[in-house]
Amino acid sequence: MGVYVIALKMLIGNRGKFYAMVFGVALTSLIITQQSSIFLGLMSRTVGFIFDTPQPDLWVMDPKVQFVDDVKPLQDTKLFQVRGVEGVEWAVPLYKGALRARLPNGTFQTCNVIGLDDATLVAGPPTMIDGSLADLRRADGVIVDEAGANGKLAKPGATPTSPRVPLRVGDVLELNDNRAVVVGIARATRTFQSQPVIYTTYSRAMRFAPRERKLLSFILAKVRSGYSSRDVALQINRQTGLAAYTAPQFKGLTIRYFMRNTGIPINFGMAVGLGFLVGVAIVGQTFFSFIVDNMRYLGILKAMGANNRLLFHMILLQTVLVGIVGSGLGMGIAALTSILAKNSELAFYLPWQVPVVTVLATSLITLITTVASLRKVFSLEPGIVFRG
Amino acid sequence: MSAAIQCRDVTKSYATGTTMTPALQGITLEIQPGELFMLVGPSGCGKTTLISVIAGILSQDGGMCRIFGEDLKSMSDEERTAFRLRNVGFVFQAYNLIPSLTAAENVSIPLLLAGHDRNEALIRANEVLRHVGLGAKLEAKPAELSGGQQQRVAIARALVHNPRLIVCDEPTSALDHTTGGEIMALFRREVLKGDRALVIVTHDSRIFHYADRIGVMDDGRVVRIAHSPDELELETSKD
Ligand SMILES: Nc1ncnc2c1ncn2[C@@H]1O[C@H](COP(=O)(O)OP(=O)(O)OP(=O)(O)O)[C@@H](O)[C@H]1O
Ligand SMILES: [Mg+2]
Repeated sequence: MGVYVIALKMLIGNRGKFYAMVFGVALTSLIITQQSSIFLGLMSRTVGFIFDTPQPDLWVMDPKVQFVDDVKPLQDTKLFQVRGVEGVEWAVPLYKGALRARLPNGTFQTCNVIGLDDATLVAGPPTMIDGSLADLRRADGVIVDEAGANGKLAKPGATPTSPRVPLRVGDVLELNDNRAVVVGIARATRTFQSQPVIYTTYSRAMRFAPRERKLLSFILAKVRSGYSSRDVALQINRQTGLAAYTAPQFKGLTIRYFMRNTGIPINFGMAVGLGFLVGVAIVGQTFFSFIVDNMRYLGILKAMGANNRLLFHMILLQTVLVGIVGSGLGMGIAALTSILAKNSELAFYLPWQVPVVTVLATSLITLITTVASLRKVFSLEPGIVFRG
Repeated sequence: MSAAIQCRDVTKSYATGTTMTPALQGITLEIQPGELFMLVGPSGCGKTTLISVIAGILSQDGGMCRIFGEDLKSMSDEERTAFRLRNVGFVFQAYNLIPSLTAAENVSIPLLLAGHDRNEALIRANEVLRHVGLGAKLEAKPAELSGGQQQRVAIARALVHNPRLIVCDEPTSALDHTTGGEIMALFRREVLKGDRALVIVTHDSRIFHYADRIGVMDDGRVVRIAHSPDELELETSKD
């Protein structure tokens, strides 16, 4: 065991190199953790609305819809057709569209308006902060999401320099020239679009929305017990020509759309890959030169009777220590930023898989580094110890 | 008692590009237990190569070399390494102490390599350091020690696990005359105990008189063996 203390002292004794290696690993794991969690954050935001709407078993829509924000309106009669499909317990309409809100100071802000079935209010926000969902039944009632109320929909302060005042229950908005009264503030999972979300009833949404022939965005359906969602989805498709997806299917559809049609995965993939390469370069290079610096001492250890296995263990211990300290530091900073960014526009999602992947990546760097230096150490002739 | 080192017709060449440089061209030599044997000769005559073969860190090409009766060439690399760990101590011209370790830690290394407990190894290292006159410098780093003190630490390191053979390449040539003499006195007093054999390669004629025998090498061969420096000078002056 004592030799390992020696190995650690040799490592830490070479302060400059030690810090450089720890820095390299920290930077790498910071980049990998941060980029992956922003990527996952963005991806989970794309399906935030589906996530917030757990009540229906099936999301019924135009078959050409490619993702959750890609609304292709349906005729109202489709709702009755879906209700008529065997195995459907209930089916409710949902309006989802972008409407312009006029703020008290005269500026306009596009909002994401969700119209909920008047009778059931299915698909309402998951958490109410002020007021209650049932308050939507009051005249002209709307519920505004917290981020929108505090941010884009906040009212200007009393003087130009004073802070903006968040929108509160009782405040009045103008949505497409219609009066709307804030009856509640809700917290919704952030969506990919950073626009404010306004919840209201389906019939009121119809009134707010510009007159068009078709306004029904989605039909949310519950499957009767004893029926499988898959079979009922198939029946809906046969009888109405509409696509019906379970929530996981709809999330998958949306995420695949973003993966295929945006540069997001490539950009983040490149950032992560680059981080990895930077790590390999810095850590590999520094560790290699650390080994070269120590070649003479490794040779002496070999001459004195350290076999290759022991030297391998010593070097492994050194790289593992660098790996642990460095990735701990990097992931710590990443976790800290994600905590600090919790209530900001930044998308951070740090599930346990991210640190695991980061640790695997750093281990890989460590392993590459170790193996690269080992070749040099194993082929080291102890005879060099006597050379000048 | 059988010889500590027994070399017969040992040859060794180095490959440099396409040509082979012969370094040892048939060395026949015996070194006895309890003997201080010096190897001298002009630069490039093969002293370091020979001592490397004797210490088991280099394999000869031809001939036979037995160390305490063992033929290291027939051993695997692993076995040779284990053999050195048990039987050989090293002292170098450049001391070669690990800079980030204290004197005691440096000395403890051979014991740690042999699997001894760290505390136990440090206690023994401190004891040996006291024997070489460094009882006051146990916790000093090599950079805080003079050349002579560093070489004492290196000697303690070569001694600590009580090997039967100690090899030294130019142990005094980085030291001034007085310090070199002190180091040699230390070798005679502390190192040459029991049946331990000591092989020292040196250029330093001022220390020749510490030797029991002196092997004079030239061009890869041992050309004569002298029992005292006077014998050497006599022969040199005859030429
Ligand atoms: N690793 C090597 N590769 C090639 N040739 C070598 C190598 N080591 C030594 N030689 C050659 O072998 C011969 C003997 O070298 P060696 O180092 O044994 O001499 P030496 O007597 O120790 O010399 P010095 O007194 O200068 O230390 C020299 O010609 C040297 O150039
Ligand atoms: Mg030499």
